Amino acid sequence: MPEYLEITVDKFTFRVAIDRAYSAEGVWAKAEGSRVRVGLSDFVQQRSGDAAFAEVKPVGTVLSAGDEFAEIETIKVNISLASPVSGSIVEVNPNLASSPEAINQAPYGEGWLALIDCPDWEADRARLLDPWVYFDLMKGQAEEETRS
Amino acid sequence: MTDEGRVLIVPCSGIGKTYGSVSREAAYLVTEDLRLDETQLVALSLLVLGDEDARAAVASHPAVTIDGCKLACATKMVKQSGGTLAKDFDVLDVYRRYRDFKPQGIAELNEGGLKLARALADEIAAVVDSLREQSGGTGDA
Repeated sequence: MPEYLEITVDKFTFRVAIDRAYSAEGVWAKAEGSRVRVGLSDFVQQRSGDAAFAEVKPVGTVLSAGDEFAEIETIKVNISLASPVSGSIVEVNPNLASSPEAINQAPYGEGWLALIDCPDWEADRARLLDPWVYFDLMKGQAEEETRS
Repeated sequence: MTDEGRVLIVPCSGIGKTYGSVSREAAYLVTEDLRLDETQLVALSLLVLGDEDARAAVASHPAVTIDGCKLACATKMVKQSGGTLAKDFDVLDVYRRYRDFKPQGIAELNEGGLKLARALADEIAAVVDSLREQSGGTGDA
């Protein structure tokens, strides 16, 4: 079980798992050997609302970091997600088609989106944010949204 | 059909939310049009307030709830009020079955929202009919 950084802003509590890296847009990446599992941060899933549909690019899709790899439609917004790493998709969460709510219920666990074969994780990792940096970024975004 | 035989329809009362608006629009369609004589609308707020008449109604009639979000307030309140839950609908789940009907708007739903509400209302009407059949259609539901 990952440990979390946690902050409560207004009535919302947001968690950032400390065992993975993040893009500035709130997509997490966790290395598992030569592969990287990716998903949505708790903040992004809460801000976006309940997921109605989640569509991830199919297995075999080759990605460069920054390429769109998934689209999520929620009750509030449609969001296009950029891959935090380069590589090819080797697995898509099979539960998302029938239970996209897993993204909301367990964003750092069963709500993962894709597993990507990542030939140069160290290079990709260097472009991502460590959890403490992302936590500060997310905190600022959450507080700004509360004020607006 | 007597009042005693009616199926209660309890929609979400959340304001400012599209899915809450869909839930209420569907409830109005059922109770004011599709199954006017077989159903009765119950305001969730009355259950929250502990209104005696509303609590007595849900305690003695089957209820269909329509929740606008995962908090499922309508379903929870019917259960807490001692009611018999015949069927609980979640607008998000309904939308997943009718993806072409994307709801937008709050005070005024868009075309997709109105179509989704109609689809939901038709499903609720079918549940009402099923309950009526189970009770023999005698008003003893």
